[in-house]
Amino acid sequence: MKNINHLLAELEQQRLEKQTRRHFLMDCVSKVGGLALAPLLFSCGLGSSKEKINGLNLSERDLNPLAPLPPPFLPKSKSIIYLHMAGAPSQLELFDYKPELVKYNNQPCPESLLEGRKFAFIRGVPNLMGPQANFSQHGESGAWVSDFLPHFSKVADEVAFLKAVHTDQFNHGPAQLFMQTGSPRLGRPSLGSWVTYGLGTENQNLPGFVVLTSGGKTPDAGKSVWGSGFLPSVYQGVQCRSKGDPVLYLEDPKGISRNLKRSIISSINQVNSEEFDHYGDPEILARINQYEMAYRMQIEVPEVMNINDEPDYIHSLYGTDPGKESFANNCLLARKLVEKGVRFVQLYDWGWDSHGTDKANAIDMGFRNKCKEIDRPMSALLLDLKQRGLLEDTLVIWGGEFGRTPMQENREGKTMGFKGRDHHVDAFSMWMAGGGVKKGTSYGLTDDFGFSGIEGRVSVHDIHATILHLMGFDHETFTHEFQGRPFRLTDVEGEIIKEILA
Amino acid sequence: MPKRKLTGLLTAAMVLLIAGILIFRQSEQVDFSTEVKPILNKNCISCHGGVKKNGGFSVLFEEEALALTKSGVSAIIPGDPKNSELIKRLHEEDPELRMPYHRASLTDEEIQTLHKWIKQGAKWGKHWAYTPVQKPKVNWTNQQAGFSDSKKNYLGIDFFIHEKQKENKLTFSEEEDSRKLLRRVSLDITGLPPTEGLQNDWLTGKITYEQLVDRLLDSSSFGEKWASWWLDLARYADTKGYERDVSRTMWKYRDWVIKAFNEDKPFDEFTIEQLAGDLLPNPSQEQMIATAFHRNTMNNDEGGTEDEEFRVAAVLDRVNTTFEVWQSTTMACVQCHSHPYDPFKHEEYFQLTAFFNNTRDEDTHDEEPKLRFYEGEDLEKISSILSWVNSNGSQKEAEALHDFFNFREPKYHAHLCEDFVNGELIDTKWLGLWHDGSCYLRNVDTQGADQLLMHYNSGLDGTKISIRNGGPEGEILSQFTIEKTSNVTKSFPFKKLTAPVDLYIEADNPKASPQQSTSAITWFAFVNSLPGKEIEGYKEMNDHFHSVLNSKVPTLPIMIENPSFMQRKTHVFERGNWLLHGEEVKPKTPEALNAWNPDWPDNRLGLAYWLTDTGNPLTSRTFVNRIWDQLFGRGLISSIEDMGTQSEAPSHPELLDFLSYNFMHEMDWSMKKLIKTIVLSKTYRQKSILSPELYQQDPQNKWYARGPRIRLSSEQIRDQVLFVSGLLSQKMYGPPVMPFQPEGIWETVYNGESWKLSEGEDKHRRAVYTFLKRTSPYPSFITFDAGSREVCVSKRIVTNTPLQALVTLNDPVFLEAAFHLGQKMKSYSNNDPLKAIAFGYELCMVSPISPNKMEIFHSLYKDALSEYQNNPELIAELIPDETNEKSAELAAFTVVANALLNLDEFLTKP
Repeated sequence: MKNINHLLAELEQQRLEKQTRRHFLMDCVSKVGGLALAPLLFSCGLGSSKEKINGLNLSERDLNPLAPLPPPFLPKSKSIIYLHMAGAPSQLELFDYKPELVKYNNQPCPESLLEGRKFAFIRGVPNLMGPQANFSQHGESGAWVSDFLPHFSKVADEVAFLKAVHTDQFNHGPAQLFMQTGSPRLGRPSLGSWVTYGLGTENQNLPGFVVLTSGGKTPDAGKSVWGSGFLPSVYQGVQCRSKGDPVLYLEDPKGISRNLKRSIISSINQVNSEEFDHYGDPEILARINQYEMAYRMQIEVPEVMNINDEPDYIHSLYGTDPGKESFANNCLLARKLVEKGVRFVQLYDWGWDSHGTDKANAIDMGFRNKCKEIDRPMSALLLDLKQRGLLEDTLVIWGGEFGRTPMQENREGKTMGFKGRDHHVDAFSMWMAGGGVKKGTSYGLTDDFGFSGIEGRVSVHDIHATILHLMGFDHETFTHEFQGRPFRLTDVEGEIIKEILA
Repeated sequence: MPKRKLTGLLTAAMVLLIAGILIFRQSEQVDFSTEVKPILNKNCISCHGGVKKNGGFSVLFEEEALALTKSGVSAIIPGDPKNSELIKRLHEEDPELRMPYHRASLTDEEIQTLHKWIKQGAKWGKHWAYTPVQKPKVNWTNQQAGFSDSKKNYLGIDFFIHEKQKENKLTFSEEEDSRKLLRRVSLDITGLPPTEGLQNDWLTGKITYEQLVDRLLDSSSFGEKWASWWLDLARYADTKGYERDVSRTMWKYRDWVIKAFNEDKPFDEFTIEQLAGDLLPNPSQEQMIATAFHRNTMNNDEGGTEDEEFRVAAVLDRVNTTFEVWQSTTMACVQCHSHPYDPFKHEEYFQLTAFFNNTRDEDTHDEEPKLRFYEGEDLEKISSILSWVNSNGSQKEAEALHDFFNFREPKYHAHLCEDFVNGELIDTKWLGLWHDGSCYLRNVDTQGADQLLMHYNSGLDGTKISIRNGGPEGEILSQFTIEKTSNVTKSFPFKKLTAPVDLYIEADNPKASPQQSTSAITWFAFVNSLPGKEIEGYKEMNDHFHSVLNSKVPTLPIMIENPSFMQRKTHVFERGNWLLHGEEVKPKTPEALNAWNPDWPDNRLGLAYWLTDTGNPLTSRTFVNRIWDQLFGRGLISSIEDMGTQSEAPSHPELLDFLSYNFMHEMDWSMKKLIKTIVLSKTYRQKSILSPELYQQDPQNKWYARGPRIRLSSEQIRDQVLFVSGLLSQKMYGPPVMPFQPEGIWETVYNGESWKLSEGEDKHRRAVYTFLKRTSPYPSFITFDAGSREVCVSKRIVTNTPLQALVTLNDPVFLEAAFHLGQKMKSYSNNDPLKAIAFGYELCMVSPISPNKMEIFHSLYKDALSEYQNNPELIAELIPDETNEKSAELAAFTVVANALLNLDEFLTKP
């Protein structure tokens, strides 16, 4: 029975796929207008099977590596918005409420917890530090959320919390790589690359995998966290910027009008089409295709990246401030991008490394301000996706690359002027929401100090396995051949976290 | 003949034929490598191999496959397939027992092959790539037999290619026309279009094709072109990588590669110098520079990181990179367990690691050891000091001092300090003792030196430092006071010791505020003071000594071996975890490969000899395969990074061996000779036209029935654009440059560095000189598939994306080039658009323009001209401020040039 259902679902999926393609095609023909080049129709998504052009049997992917493909299994989500808080926010001030820790505030940390452990900066015996925020329960699910996130506490029923996530990397760079590529070392494709590689993207006028950064810096691990590793570079994330060109080199050079650009591209493609007649190399058709796409991107990207025209109530919902680089703007952009058919939107917000070495990274000062910066927009994102009916097939993920210690940091053995927490790999919180995720759940439990997970521990690989599952993949068979062996995002590990599936 | 009779005869003949085939096949010996191993790899090895050995059974190594399994029986009984569990399980009907477990069963043919193989004795065989390279026979015609070796080499290529073409019912395409061939071979060899002079000589028939190739190989552009390829393998970059990713000075290594290629340094020497130049007798400065190959590993400056962890990561990267670059073998998996497919054992990985585990570098912030490049006065001082030591001390002392001047080794890094009281490592890097602070630096061998050298800085005056033997009560070995200073290397008298000791280091400075570091110490070294203290001139010498030590000179990270008293032991890491030490191992090369010559030293130098020994089965094959891939866009083995048992079978095994053998034995490892041989072949010189039939038969051009037509690399695209527009600078070598890049690309955390636009001709240097920041490489290069050089990359995957179109259409670098090309077109043609377009097109494509294309561009020109005539304000926007001429014609030519620089034929090797 199971198999038949699966087949039916697949058929339905393909039917839907074709339908969208047909619309897209009509759309496309009208846009390309006068330039009647047979191969161009192809770019508009004609058929997923092989097509004959000038006697060549080509699949859509031969001409357009981002052409949409159905996943092997029925997906729960069509797109992903991943909010990565670079620097690793403290779970103990946000979601992992530890009343016991209050009692032990300022007490030396029990030696048993420190034995055989290594920390990035803590030396000797540090003191425990109680939560610096007040917690209460919210919504029907009774989720614990601190008063650092007053807006988010109102949408807590929408999400599934993971309270006992663990990693094995306690430095930012390797930990971010691990979280985003499944390996702490360089050279592996990022989650977004895998997903775009497997599914292509719906809107050919926008990149399939978009990266937006805020907080003034790119993540510690650099652009590799959205790199394509050994997958073709077409699947790497495209960073869209708030200042300058939203996509590098998108804007026409000064002195070249849109009209003229159209003539330039038409001339290039006519010559290329001559060239194809001579050489018969399908790569030329692909290039013709790419130039048309580039032209359309030049129109569509600035449109989607422009938030000025959003209604006031949207601006007040998100707390956006057009023209600035901010997490709020990026949240609104993420919604717009997903709405337009972008497969994977990755947000990085830098500035969560709350060591307590100065005001800006003190738990009760800088960290609190960072919470304020994300609280309204990330809650608005969930609400906005929901009111547009997008949340049911968009997966939203929130988290950092590791957690923070229940102990106060004592860098180089010194007493610190501000309250801070060191890097911690044993237990931290993440949440997911949207397509296929069980709303209003919390999975995993940490000990009284929030030091280690004691129930429902999940690894980074488990999270990846779950994400891929929601997108319609079996993480064990979704592989790419490289160096003579099949590679997968989850390496040789990963269990789907069934407890948070709807 | 009646019809029935004929049928009868035919049937009989068929029966006989089939019987004959069956008998023939029955008697045929099954070949393990080509027939059995692929079946095992495909169906069995993922559960019964290096990682998993389900049921205690593995088909990776012979002894494992024939051994008893968990159930107490052997899965393979040689000669007895019926009782072999392996065969039984393939036929099993119970899905819980039938193998492969819960997957599609093997085909009858596959089972038959395994059956026969076991029946014939289950003989294990070697994967083809691990057997020595042998010269395959070529059936020369009488005429060919008399040809020279070099001619035979390229004829040999065509012979083997044609053999396979015949099997696939294909044949060569005709030779490419002379202009396109010129452009192809020029782009391939120099990375640039042909110069005007060369074009004339070739097109007027003044030089032969072979002379053309020689001229290209002699050009200094050759080294610049091929360096880009090697630097991908060497993971060369201008920053350290990881979180902070600050700059490092590595460019002298890049220049070394360019020079080595231009000099055609034989590949065996090229290998030895990079892997072990420092271990050669009396190494030259150039040989030391070469060792920077393995200092291109990343270096982690992130606060809170343990240097030892990243030192180990760098060492393992050296093992992996060496094996990928020279052996097409992916060793990274053997780090955690025996290789899942290839015959490399877990412990063998660490035996290889032992070759690399004894270098001085320790992931310190300063990236020591670094080679110093002294000049002028410093050189004179050094020479006078050394001759002083030679005459007043000993030659040995002088040699040690020479090394210490050159690369400051041996020394002890402050990060080795431990057991701090009132102190810590500052940012986990530098020793910072507070007032009344102390720590230990253990197991220090001073080699009896009477002088301590210390590198440090301090923000306080009057810190008393005491160094004691063994602990707080130990004898004082040295005691001194240090003052406020920026980074400095200073000497202090030290008690001579005869054995290694634990140093106990104390700092006292009541003026320091609580928890304030009294100084930041980087390293300690023990170097004898200069001899001849009583002789006149000593003071001057001693001043020279200190001045040289503190002279600010250019540096380059290099490889230096640990002296005998600092040797590290190497252990197996259990499950690849560097903290879980297993048994100790010694340097040793893998069993499956060529034998070790006992005359070789057990170090990196020996390893380099082993790699370049003509008995090594992989080095030459790997190199030939890479060069072939560079020229044809596809290797003879398509998985460039892997020649192991899981790799795709070579399309032309004899050709690979023919070239690999000759590369070692006839070409004496000359890369230029190898390239020349390939480009002289008919195979290379074919037209690259692809008919629908040909596409049907051979879409990937595996059988080379047409020439290679490949998109140019990011470097070639930039260089070519600058070349045709006349902007390209001829300047070679030197520090990396920063051509135009949009604002806001560099946003690395904890790093104050910024992109500073280079001045003058440095804006227009060849791509190989562009500053490469690992976390943020030059944007247009990554768009055209270049990498970030964090790890070794054997092959760039070529993609075709809209972002590439945006670069060549809109990137100011390309627009500037279009403007300059437009200007050239205009001035050449005296404003005659047809003449200008023909000129511009030919400049770019080397071939004349066709009437159809001319019409298209002419119409673009007219569109643009009327646009600018109607909107003159656009002219000033397009044409750079510094150009006085603001004519609509010039603007329109710029637009045409912009289109020319975007043509597929321009971006592609013809």
